[in-house]
Parts: sequence; C-alpha cells; structure tokens
Amino acid sequence: MTMTGLDSATRRVVGILQERRSLSRLLALALAVLVGFSVLSPDIFFSVVNFQTIAFTVPEIGLLSLAIMVAMLTGGIDLSIVSVANLTALTTATLFATFGGADATGGQAVLLTVLFVAMGLLVALLAGLFNGFLVAVVGVTPILATLGTMQLYNGLAIAWTGGEALYGMPEAFLAIGINTVALVPVSFVMFALIAAALAVLLNRSPLGTKLRLVGANPTAARFSGIHNRRVLLATYVVTGLLAGLAGVIIASRSASASPDYGASYLLLAIVVAVLGGTNPFGGFGTVLGVVLATVTLEMVSSGFNIMRLSPFEYTIAQGLILVAIMVLDAVHRRRRGRVARPPRPEDPAPSGVAKEEMREPG
Amino acid sequence: MNRWVNRLRGRNNEGVLALTILVVVTAMTLVNPDFFTVSTLFGILRNSLVETVFALGVLIVIISGGIDVSFPVIGIFAGYTTIVIAQGGGSDPGVLGALLVAVVIGSLLGLVNGGLIARFGLPTLIVTLGTQGVFRGVLLAYIGSKYIAELPASIAQLSTTDLFVVQQGPVAARLHVFVVPVVLLCLAVHWLLQRTMFGRGVYALGSDAESARRAGFPVARLQLAIYALVGLLAGIAGIAHVTLSRNANPYELAGTELDIIAAVVLGGASILGGRGSVLGTVLGVVLIAVIKNSLILMGVPGTWQRAAVGVLLVAGVSIQALGARRKAARRRAVELEEARA
Repeated sequence: MTMTGLDSATRRVVGILQERRSLSRLLALALAVLVGFSVLSPDIFFSVVNFQTIAFTVPEIGLLSLAIMVAMLTGGIDLSIVSVANLTALTTATLFATFGGADATGGQAVLLTVLFVAMGLLVALLAGLFNGFLVAVVGVTPILATLGTMQLYNGLAIAWTGGEALYGMPEAFLAIGINTVALVPVSFVMFALIAAALAVLLNRSPLGTKLRLVGANPTAARFSGIHNRRVLLATYVVTGLLAGLAGVIIASRSASASPDYGASYLLLAIVVAVLGGTNPFGGFGTVLGVVLATVTLEMVSSGFNIMRLSPFEYTIAQGLILVAIMVLDAVHRRRRGRVARPPRPEDPAPSGVAKEEMREPG
Repeated sequence: MNRWVNRLRGRNNEGVLALTILVVVTAMTLVNPDFFTVSTLFGILRNSLVETVFALGVLIVIISGGIDVSFPVIGIFAGYTTIVIAQGGGSDPGVLGALLVAVVIGSLLGLVNGGLIARFGLPTLIVTLGTQGVFRGVLLAYIGSKYIAELPASIAQLSTTDLFVVQQGPVAARLHVFVVPVVLLCLAVHWLLQRTMFGRGVYALGSDAESARRAGFPVARLQLAIYALVGLLAGIAGIAHVTLSRNANPYELAGTELDIIAAVVLGGASILGGRGSVLGTVLGVVLIAVIKNSLILMGVPGTWQRAAVGVLLVAGVSIQALGARRKAARRRAVELEEARA
C-alpha cells in the first residue's frame, strides 16, 4: 500500500474508499453466507435459536480479534492474548474458590462477582503492561516479546493450577455467559458495548489517532511530537484488557477456568482480524470490520455444523477464506498500482510481517 | 583481547548460548551427579532430533525475513499420509521409499506456500496461517483422523534401531540411529546457507528485499525455493517423528510451531531477517531441551517447565534487543563524530 507522493487530501479519499471497499465486500460476504445457509437449511439455520447460539459464541472470539486488531494498528501483534484471557479467568475462579464465593447469593454474590472480575482484569492489565514494557521500553519486536510472554503467562497458569481446570463460580457470575435479555445473550450485549467503546476510543480520541499514526509510520509519528513509547505502552494495555474481558466471558460461559482453554483461538483471532480488513503492517483497521468478520465466520461455523460438515472442513473454509481475501486484495492493489504509475515495475513484495515491524524504539 | 572476546561470542551470540549450556550442565552436575550421564545426554539428543530438523527449516525462513507457522502441520501431513499410503499399497515401501514419499508431499505443500507468497507478495505469516488451516483440515477430513499403531515393518524396525548402546549397570543408554541423518542435514543446511548462491540470496532477501531485487537476485524464485525447502525439511521431520514415536497420530505436532520458532529465535536468528546460523539454532534447541531436562531432575514439577522456557525466552529476546539498541547508539555516535570532523 504505497501511498507516498500523494497529498493528504487524496490520501484521505483513498483511505475512505479503501475502508468502504473492504467493509462493503465483507458485508456482501456476510449476506451471502447468511442467505446461502438460510436457503440450504431454512428450518434450522434460519431460526431464533440458531442465531442465539451464534450470538453466544461471537463475544469471546470477537474480543480476542479486536485485541489483535488494536495491536496490528500499530504494526505489531499480540500473541499472548489467549494466555492473558486464561490468566484472568483463573484469577477470578481462584478468588471465588478461596473466598467461598460459590455459595454466595443475592447482593453479596453480585458484589463479589464485580470485585473478583475487577481483580481478574487487573491481572490482564498488568500482563498487558509488561508486554508494553518489553515492546516500548526494552525495544523487543512485538511478535517476539509476546511470543515469550505467551509462554510465560501460560506457563504461570499451568504451574498455578497444575494444569487442571477450576470450577465453582456463583450464579451471579455465570449469568454473564448464560443469561439472555430479550433473547439476546448478556455477553453479546457486553460485547457490543465494549466494541462501541473501543470504536470511540480509536476514532474519537487522541490516542486512537496517535495509534494509527505510529502504525502507519513510526518515524514520522515521532517527528510529529508523538511519544511513541507511551502510545505503544497504551496499545498493549488495551489489548491485555480486551483479552481479559474475553477471559471473563469464556469463564462464565464454560463455568470453568483452565490454562489450556482456547488454544486454537489465537490463530483464529488473527484470521478474523485480517478478514475484517485490518492491515497487518499497521495504520489501518476498523472495529466494525472485525465485528462483521467475527459474525461471518461464526455463521459459517454454525452453517457447516448444521450441514453436518466436519469441524475439519470448517478449518479448511477458514484458511481458504483468509487466503482468498488476501489474494483478491493483492490482485486489486497491483492492478490499481499499474494504472496509477505505469513506468515502475511491480510493487516490491513485502517479504513478511516481521520486516515491516522494524521500527525505531521510542 | 577484545577481538578474541568477540570471536568467541560469535556473530549470533553462539558463544553466549554455549556458555549458558555449559553453566547449566555444570550446575546440574554439582547439584545432582546423576545428571551427568551418557543416558541423560542420549535422552536429550533423542528428544531434540525432530525439533532440530523443523528448526532448520524455520531458520531458513526467518533469515529470509519471513515466518512460517504451517511447518508442523506439513510435517504430520507428510508423515501420516506416507503411512496411510504404505498401508493402502499393501507392500512395505521400505525406509527410503517412505522417506521419498514424505519428502515429495512436504515439498509440494511447501510449494503452495511459496507460490502464494512469491506470486502475490502476501505477508508470510498470514499466508501460512491460512494454508495451515487448509492442510490440517484436508488431513483430518479426507486422509484420516484415526490413530495408526501398526507401522510398516521396515519403519517399525527402524524405530528401534540404535546407533550404539552403552551399558551402565542395569540401564542401557541408547543413541538412536537418526542422530546421523540429523547431523548430516545440519551440515547440509549450513553449507547451503554459507557456501551457495542460494544461501547468499536468503540472507540478502532477509536484509532488504528491494536491495536483493536490485542486486539481481530472482526474489520470487528464491521465495518459492525457500518455502519448498521448508516443506521438504518438514516432511523429513514428520516421518522421523512418526518413526520415533512408533505410531502415526494425525493430531500431533500441530500447535508446536511457536515453540520451535522460539528455539530458533533464542539461537540468535533475527526475526527481522538477515541474521542467523545453523550452529546457533542447534544450540537454541539443545538449551531448551537441557533446561527442561534439568528441571525434571531438580525435582521441579513438570508444570513449571513452560514458565521456565517463557522466562528464558523473554530474557533472551530482551538481551538481544538491548544489545541491538546499544550498537545502534554507538553507530550514531560515531557518525556524529565523523560528521563533525
């Protein structure tokens, strides 16, 4: 996506077009999936119960994917999200187990739930802060820093529990993952609120603008007076918190906390983020895109289930969708590039995400 | 004096790694004399064999500035499919026949990665994430999802073939014959990276893709070759894994990709590309194996292993990052001085 040489107005128009294009394409895909499966299975797929089931599965994947998207905005990545989610779930579960919260009822249970969830989120915040410290202060490449902390956090969780799952949480806590309000799952309402808050943070706050700028061009951001370090630190605190929230929802939905939960979620979250139009090299990504991508993939998963296709075939579909979207993007970009400036040879191929993550620290 | 220190440290901190291994081994021997035995050594070697072969492939990709997360799936795809084909054919393909089939399957899957990356210039992490899902899905949905306990006779026989056996009182320390091909592979990859045009191309591509292109390296063809080679190595690792574990389980290996990348990074390969060595990679793999082994012998519960490896990795990458930063600062200071002069 080389846009050097364009003035800022043109760049903005291109940006909006790009945003619209990826969003509208995603919307078309979502509709195609919805209509396709509804026609194939009008009774089972196109039913309130099924949409409710889908709505129950969206929040945890959605929050983890949003975390990846935020990290990718700055040109980084956070591989530790699933470990952080489990660490949060374990903290909350352990507190309930230690202080006998499982038997609590009424107001006391609600109070304990709020308190213990807050403690869990505090752990997520600290975990994110440590990631941010490694990336922003020590200057470790994000993919490496979080590769290490992923092992570290997961290792701590395994050592803490001996690898076993924890149970015993009160109804008040489980309500988050099980109850519905007017047919809509509580967790889905929470997810929608968190996504909206994140969209405001990214689009309407100075931090959001800075985050994007640091991702688009760290050197330019630094010379414009942005404290890259602080922005990166904040980025990983946000991804940690989002992962922690996912952990709370996972624990309340499965009524347990385990160090090994959701091992396949990390890669899925990256797939969703990229499918949602996030540029892995930084600078571009939308909350709406990621939410749409999550819903689409969960619809495909549910549709495959109903069509009695194996979960392995769903894995194939996931991979094919991801590769197809990337290839379409590349072909489109190349064609546009050729029209815009014919004399130059084809765009230099980015040889890897890692390369683009090279940035001057601070 | 300084030059000697630098020489010993190695270009990718190989010396530091070797020293760390030495310190750990010495400390462990002092704490627990049982550690320093031939059987511990052979055990560590045996446990590192498959990982080393995978790591060689990862090393090549990382030097070229890319990243591949599909190699364990390619490995088990090749290993498992080979056994399925052998059973379907009815006749025993023999060890070389099986190896050939696994290598062909691995290379073909690697070519798919390479094709997508080279033809469309896609980010390597995303492509291999996608193909990993496709490969694993195809394996489990269409080739087989059953555990196979009965290997063809020739492979079963190879599983229990030792290079030599050292009798130590009641216990026999066995060194598996696979050590020989793995050492040869390490030497071959070292030669490929250090002594051939292909190797130069891999380093050039990782240092700066655009410069490599302008210097005349056929970047697309290089990328194709790199990912095919990773597939080939993964195929070998896959059939080796099946042989060593004496069964074929299509659910295994998937999910180990980040652990192996961690070992390669610990071995001094730069995730930004352009840097890394076979020696460092082997030391990285061995260091992790030694530490895991020591923890068990020290009576640390197995549950702490992952955390320990995590600490090691975080410390390793932090030290590398701080070192790189110091070097950059020194370079800036020199440039400033030259500008003044």
